[in-house]
Amino acid sequence: MTESTAKKKPAPRKAATRKRATAAKKAAAKRKPARNTQPVKPVSVLIVGAGFAGLGMAIRLKQAGIDDFVILERASAVGGTWRDNQYPGAACDIPSNLYSYSFAPNPDWSRSFSGSEEILGYIHHLVAEFDLEKHIRFEKNVADLSFDEKSGVWTATTDKKETFAGRAAIMAQGPLSNCSFPAITGIDDFQGHKIHSARWDHDYDFRGKRVAVIGTGASGIQIIPELVKTAGHVKVFQRTPGWVLPRPDFATPAWNKALFRKLPASQQAMRNLLYWTHESMALAVIWNSPLTRIAERVARLHLRRQVKDRWLRRQLTPDFTIGCKRVLVSNDYYPALQKDNAKLITWPIARISEKGVRTVEGIEHQVDCIVFATGFDVSHSGTPFPVKGRGGRVLGDEWQGGAQAYKSINVSGYPNLFMTFGPNSGPGHNSALVYMESQLDYAVKGIEKILKDDLKMLDVKEGVQRRHNKAIQKRLARTNWNSGCKSWYLTEDGFNATMYPGFATQYAAQMAEFEERDYETV
Amino acid sequence: MASIDLDKMLTKIKSTQWALSDIDWDAPGADLITDEQWPKLKEFMADLMWIEHVGARAFAALAKKAPDDTLRQIYTYFHAEEQRHANAEMALMKRWGMLDGDEIPEPNINLRIVIEWLDRFADEMPLYVLGTVVPMLEIALDGALCTFLLDTVKDPVCHQAFERINDDESRHLGVGFTVMEMQGRGKTFIGATKMLAPLMDPRLILGIASYAPLLNKMRDNVIAMGLPEEKLYKAMKKFERIGGRTEDGRRNPWFQIIKYHGRFVTNRSQRAYHVPVDGLVKLTNMVPRRALPAVPSWVKELTWQPTATH
Repeated sequence: MTESTAKKKPAPRKAATRKRATAAKKAAAKRKPARNTQPVKPVSVLIVGAGFAGLGMAIRLKQAGIDDFVILERASAVGGTWRDNQYPGAACDIPSNLYSYSFAPNPDWSRSFSGSEEILGYIHHLVAEFDLEKHIRFEKNVADLSFDEKSGVWTATTDKKETFAGRAAIMAQGPLSNCSFPAITGIDDFQGHKIHSARWDHDYDFRGKRVAVIGTGASGIQIIPELVKTAGHVKVFQRTPGWVLPRPDFATPAWNKALFRKLPASQQAMRNLLYWTHESMALAVIWNSPLTRIAERVARLHLRRQVKDRWLRRQLTPDFTIGCKRVLVSNDYYPALQKDNAKLITWPIARISEKGVRTVEGIEHQVDCIVFATGFDVSHSGTPFPVKGRGGRVLGDEWQGGAQAYKSINVSGYPNLFMTFGPNSGPGHNSALVYMESQLDYAVKGIEKILKDDLKMLDVKEGVQRRHNKAIQKRLARTNWNSGCKSWYLTEDGFNATMYPGFATQYAAQMAEFEERDYETV
Repeated sequence: MASIDLDKMLTKIKSTQWALSDIDWDAPGADLITDEQWPKLKEFMADLMWIEHVGARAFAALAKKAPDDTLRQIYTYFHAEEQRHANAEMALMKRWGMLDGDEIPEPNINLRIVIEWLDRFADEMPLYVLGTVVPMLEIALDGALCTFLLDTVKDPVCHQAFERINDDESRHLGVGFTVMEMQGRGKTFIGATKMLAPLMDPRLILGIASYAPLLNKMRDNVIAMGLPEEKLYKAMKKFERIGGRTEDGRRNPWFQIIKYHGRFVTNRSQRAYHVPVDGLVKLTNMVPRRALPAVPSWVKELTWQPTATH
């Protein structure tokens, strides 16, 4: 039974409760659609988030013959990160033929590295192609997710107190979905315009404006070349320079698209080639090896070729091992910084004032607009909303010392709950969607088990999870991410709850086996 | 001055920032500079400003060599703070009508050579070399010169600016001496000998050849200002007193080298030192400016304007 059918037939117990409600409450309830206020018979799967992960999950469930699921989306449109990140120049930094689902290839990518608009178009295409719209409940912002041991049901309650229930739940809200302005002293004093890269203001006219860009990470280096083309003057405030590799970006020739359409195996072959090329990058990026030195040399040559001034080169040269922070790819960032209307500022920021940014060298850099390309609020130790498991335990509390899960997807004490991009699932060298596919297929296996055996609980054993994490942390200690730099991969205490220490192939092998003995079943 | 907690120091640094716009550069008092003072002060300020700027570049090199993130951040702040001092001193020069339009004053030839050396080699030097030389430069040139200035200049805006500058400098010195002690901690004879190995490095020898005449040149400038050179020597002795206060500090071989060098500098009767070094000052004065390569672009970051609108 689908969730929508269930809503039309409220449970008798709840109907009785409604009768006891006051007249005012009845009137209020009548004004709302019935499904917003009434408990529902649980669907098989409740998915939180309609981004790449949530929609991919939906597709894989459908392909496995499970059609009884609901997707709760807090916004009014699908797309997640790619819906939110529509700043000028936004694009993926993994080739599109790899940054897409293998079960939904797109032969028509216009470029080797597509822009965010085209990626969002692909996501919309997935929704249409796999008929997912009817499963999505828009503007349902989940505020609580709780498990009931007796019934073996997860209940999601939205901020408007609507409830949705499912036998299994998928947390696919994405690790990079929340953002806020950084805590820089005086930020509220600024009288000009403020824009966050992940919430772009498309109505603001940059022509002739003096703009400050704070942040030179993955978003910053994509925004800056575009702003330099239109703004009057762009000042780029950099705290730490990143390693920048050249980006082999080109328009896809028409014959290539035709070939992929006529001969899908050729696109798969291209995907395989890209996959293995990126896999080899793991040796340079994840571990400190001779290939790391080669990758650093390539980045240095790229810098030397594009920047002639020795001091500017010094300012742009990272002082950490490549891979420790996210590796950046760009051909136009360095040239943009050297345009007449651009300037790189590496002085630390002292505060933001009414008129601009004050740096420690004592100067106030006055601007009309500040663009914050400062990334996302990544939680290493909490959950985006309270998640309550067996016996009322709260996941956020358990994760205070750093998030931990089993194979990044299940957490002991939280049965029937699956996470996409959970703890220690992040790639540093390969497509996130490659990792995602492994997670989706693992979740499908778990859900099939729950449904087939009619289980109330499929809960990973605590000891199994502990041993898994011990091994992961041991392996992480030898990686570049844990080599001493500060990055969003680590907690303040240096605990790495984000990355997977290995090849994508290793991760896929880890996720390929669903070991029933690792789980307690009720 | 006891060893300090560097984490607390970083927090303090971040919370005590000031900007050029905190000072009213047009406030009354500029006319307190006498006609007699003006030309000497102009030269003195230009040198002082460049010393700050040189110090800034040395801190930039130290940031690259810092053993941990806290010290790296501290040195990054100090780099910017020294630049702020140079900017503030330029703003004073502007106030006193010593700048030709927006022109940055020319550095004297010894400073010019030091700038060249820093630009080429400073990043290659180990922490303990720059970590010892910089406190000496700060104490002798920066700290002492600032004090002399306040003894002779009555302009209240100058006092206001240097009150802030001196606050910063006292933190720079506190960190400087703490790091020197850290470097000397538990050093065995072999460890200490290893620390001396860079003495054989031609890049460092070049550095010494530019550092030594700079000190003598500044001594000459102090005398030209009509100030007793003993005050400079007294400041340099402070380095010996504070740096040698603990056993760790004394065990740092670079402290010993700089200390003995300081003793040579402050003892005019050491002819074996002063004759060749003064000779170097004279010799460097003969170096035609066009023989030097173009100034590095970090030099062009200086500004006397409290706000940058473009």
